[in-house]
Amino acid sequence: MLQKNNRLLKGLSLGLFLFLGFMASGQDDLLAELEADSKPKTSYAFATFKGTRVVNLQSPELPAKGVLQYMILHRFGTFRTNYFYNFLGLHNAQVRLTVDYGITDWLNVGIGQSSFQKMYDGFVKYRLCRQSSGEVNMPVSIVGYSSMFYTAQRTPENRPLNTAQRLSFVNELVIARKFSQNFSAELVPTLVHQNTVDSAAYSNSVFCLGLGARYKITKMHALSVEYVYQINPTKQFFDGTALQDYNNALSVGFDIETGGHVFQLFLTNSRGVSDPLVFTETPGNWLDGDIHFGFNISRVFTIVRPKLPRE
Amino acid sequence: MNKRSFFVLFLSLVFTGINAQKLMTRNGYIKFFSHAPLEDIKAENNQVSSVIDLSNGTFAFVVPIKGFQFEKALMQEHFNENYLESGAYPNGTFKGNIEEYTKIDMDKDGTYKLKMSGVMRIHGVEKKIVEVVEFTVNGGKLNLFSVFNIKPSDYEIKIPASKQDNIADTLEVTVRMSYAAKK
Repeated sequence: MLQKNNRLLKGLSLGLFLFLGFMASGQDDLLAELEADSKPKTSYAFATFKGTRVVNLQSPELPAKGVLQYMILHRFGTFRTNYFYNFLGLHNAQVRLTVDYGITDWLNVGIGQSSFQKMYDGFVKYRLCRQSSGEVNMPVSIVGYSSMFYTAQRTPENRPLNTAQRLSFVNELVIARKFSQNFSAELVPTLVHQNTVDSAAYSNSVFCLGLGARYKITKMHALSVEYVYQINPTKQFFDGTALQDYNNALSVGFDIETGGHVFQLFLTNSRGVSDPLVFTETPGNWLDGDIHFGFNISRVFTIVRPKLPRE
Repeated sequence: MNKRSFFVLFLSLVFTGINAQKLMTRNGYIKFFSHAPLEDIKAENNQVSSVIDLSNGTFAFVVPIKGFQFEKALMQEHFNENYLESGAYPNGTFKGNIEEYTKIDMDKDGTYKLKMSGVMRIHGVEKKIVEVVEFTVNGGKLNLFSVFNIKPSDYEIKIPASKQDNIADTLEVTVRMSYAAKK
């Protein structure tokens, strides 16, 4: 009888132990069950760069659907000569203004104008794929950018230009990856085509390979760098005499993000501000002190608000 | 039947009993609202999953942070990138116990205001909380409703001085869920 009771007690305590064990682990199990269950099937990278541009190159970012973006771009005069006389280059500023709009999350269209050579332009930027992990694994984001520029500047009467001759085109294919929360980089094969060039000996099409990167130093601040290598550069008259290749553009910048603005401040040897000029018509060289201060400022406005989930 | 097999049978009965009492949802709703001098901000999310085990009063929910939708896309990006850091901490979670859970009677309609205590985990930071939750049984279905406050600073979510007029110190959170038996 005593033996039997003991056995029963043993059995009961074993059962109770198992039951309590189950109870204690119950909470964790519930959460673990849920976490396993609620993992998003595909997780997309976002905020790979702060702005829609790195400096001159496009970034893989597009304004969201229903968002209007206004940008002011400035490039100042060179550090090389008369820097103080020209008030830190301010007196030789080139200005570009653009407005673009997100028709969908993957399609952005815009117009712009640039002071130098009185250029007017229209552009489209389109996302082809997004970096993601999970069910769909995509190592990079790929974004295309195509623009057409019209040079309205008057030419001498003995050298008239028709409409076609005034056009130039820039195509960029942005292949970007967000490597970590702070570090992102991109490779940008670029084609600049100008319908009119200075000499028949020059190629109308210049192929370039751009490299851009950013590193976030705080949540609101980032350092950026950009280098655009020209594969078949055209020539320039250096100091008005000797012909030599145009330089590759190197830019080093600092991004500041506030609520709806991104301020990008940078130093670059690229003189131009409009896309056809920034990559392929850079006369200056960093080593000669041909450095320009510049900034891009963007502001976004939500025009069409997205539908929110219902309660 | 020997006693050991009896206990095995008993335990398996208990487990099936417990499983039958699990209620679940995958599309629970959560909203937060921030009222600050310069602006009001709200974000809504209907991808909350939650389980209640009525046999022991345990309760859990998981909120995918990327599921919060804002009226301004850039705000949503900043929320994920700068504040909640959803890349590193993709989910907010809660696990806890409903006090007096035995009061809930699934067989007849009624409303129960019950205390719930447990651990909230947001931005990788855990904090013990106690809140009152309203349960409603309606036609054999269990619904949950709760409004409570949370402070971003409790979860080491830093709001820069320049944004202190845009984002409140205390956010009002509203939770609504309708449960169905777990399959």
